[in-house]
Amino acid sequence: MANDNKEVLLSVKNLEITFYNNKKRFRAVKNANFDIYKGETFALVGESGSGKTTIGRAIIRLNPTSDGEILFKGKKINGKISHEEERSIVRNIQMIFQDPAASLNERATIDYCVSEGLYNFHLYKDEAEREAKVDKALESVGLLPEHKSRYPHEFSGGQRQRIGIARAMIMEPEFIIADEPISALDVSIRAQVLNLMNKFKTERGLTYMFIAHDLSVVRYFSDRIAVIHKGRIVEIAPTDILFKYPLHPYTHSLLQAVPMPDPRIEKSKELVIYDESKRDLSGEKPILQEIRPGHFVFANDREMKEYEAKLQEWEKEEN
Amino acid sequence: MTDQELFAFKRADDSASEHISAPKYSYWQSVFRKFFSSKTAIVMLVIALTVVLIAFIQPILSGYDPMETPNINNPSMRFIRPNGEFWFGTDDKGNSLFDAVWAGTRNSLIVSFSATIITQILGVTVGMFWGFSKRFDAIMIQIYNVLANIPMTLVAMIMMYVLGSGMPQLIFALSVTSWISTAYFIRVQVMIIRDREYNLASRCLGTPTVKIITHNIFPYLISVIMTSISRDVPSFISYEVFLSFIGVGLSQAHASLGRMIQTYSSYMTSAPYLFWIPVFISAFISVSLYIVGQTLADASDPRTHMV
Repeated sequence: MANDNKEVLLSVKNLEITFYNNKKRFRAVKNANFDIYKGETFALVGESGSGKTTIGRAIIRLNPTSDGEILFKGKKINGKISHEEERSIVRNIQMIFQDPAASLNERATIDYCVSEGLYNFHLYKDEAEREAKVDKALESVGLLPEHKSRYPHEFSGGQRQRIGIARAMIMEPEFIIADEPISALDVSIRAQVLNLMNKFKTERGLTYMFIAHDLSVVRYFSDRIAVIHKGRIVEIAPTDILFKYPLHPYTHSLLQAVPMPDPRIEKSKELVIYDESKRDLSGEKPILQEIRPGHFVFANDREMKEYEAKLQEWEKEEN
Repeated sequence: MTDQELFAFKRADDSASEHISAPKYSYWQSVFRKFFSSKTAIVMLVIALTVVLIAFIQPILSGYDPMETPNINNPSMRFIRPNGEFWFGTDDKGNSLFDAVWAGTRNSLIVSFSATIITQILGVTVGMFWGFSKRFDAIMIQIYNVLANIPMTLVAMIMMYVLGSGMPQLIFALSVTSWISTAYFIRVQVMIIRDREYNLASRCLGTPTVKIITHNIFPYLISVIMTSISRDVPSFISYEVFLSFIGVGLSQAHASLGRMIQTYSSYMTSAPYLFWIPVFISAFISVSLYIVGQTLADASDPRTHMV
């Protein structure tokens, strides 16, 4: 995938996020670098506590950053910015939350939940237009206008998540951060929510940042994947390349953990658990390097040579 | 019949599965349904309403004034036991105790209701911002630590000595000493729900802090505030009774349950009804209002609304 002719929508440069608990310091995100292109679905994959949600929340300004830059359309959006800029970010970047039960105000009607953003930015001429917008938003996620007077607890998990999507979509954003939007849902309705998100992507040319830990979902849904481990991005590659040539050992073990729908393969599969302490970490400090166009891996020069050899071997097998 | 006649194609209607068949939920309707499902609460509500109504209507009709003692020189009017004419009997000055008790109840209720309203408005408003703002919390917690270590009854007593007795002074003294504990109580509740995900979601939608407090936090606190009110009303009544009893509450010019209990305690053996009737009325109000308030507080918690 040639990335040069694509427009960069969001760019994260040397991002550091540190949390302080009294005197204790915890670096949740270490030196993260990636670009998200307009119109693509960029997935951030990693285990729990790896810092993927932290990055997502930093972009939408819920978490303060300690170093580095986040650029949205070339403009810095982290740290201190003016009130107008902050409001324009809210208009353009929206978030879909993980737990639909926790992310809706239980004491407000669906009407209020969905039109909360409209109220804040006064995105309507009169009451009739607001209602029309809410009706349209509910309809676009497959809900009925009669649901407006209901309360969130009356809905099923899938319905609630669709309310969460409608609430984000009504703002007509360009960029959506989806923080594990389907991991709290029943397996039977996951596809429904994913298809809905895909529908919006094609209809409105949206860009997604998809935070997940489920690789089988990511493979289906995203264009490019960044693998994050302990706050550090270890590999970025287009989806098919990453699944074909997982270079970093962590990526490798992560891909291995995906269950195969074949009992014979599954039985003979030997799981490799990634253990940093057992790795040869000699040599200089590793950095994120581009091994093939669009394929980045976290490595130092010695490891780069190993990966290069591995990659050439795989490519030879292919041909 | 052919197959075509027997079987016809039917389109699946996806929207039909979205329909919610349960009846519409209304918060306040459910609150009242839950409240009136308790028989004790209904009985107590009737008692409380009767007491409140009598206390506010009877003194207007009787025009009772504790400073007027027309029968003081008529010994035959003193210490009449409760009978058909004087339902609660007469006191040492020849005044009807029935009139005195209700005038006293009215004053106690006015003091208690006013102090509760002031305490709650002040306490809830301050508590909301206290719980929400970390910077405000740093200052307020120090103020609270200092104030919480001062015995508030003592402060109220000293205030009444300094300000002089009277109804506004009493209301002031009661509210000044109790709002901070209400604020602290609300602060803790706000902190519990402040960082919940739906507040983050609201922030992502650009909702300003004040609106998050009024729309996201406050509705969750209704049942907590109800509990707090149901505790405050009876406690202020007993507080008033106590302060009047030790002689720093309302002045001689105001009828007051506390003052009555204090004055008549010396007749406990010779004319016990003079002492026990005001005590019982005071207990009646406190208990009935407390139970009504507690049931209402329980009913206003939506977790109890499940059928």
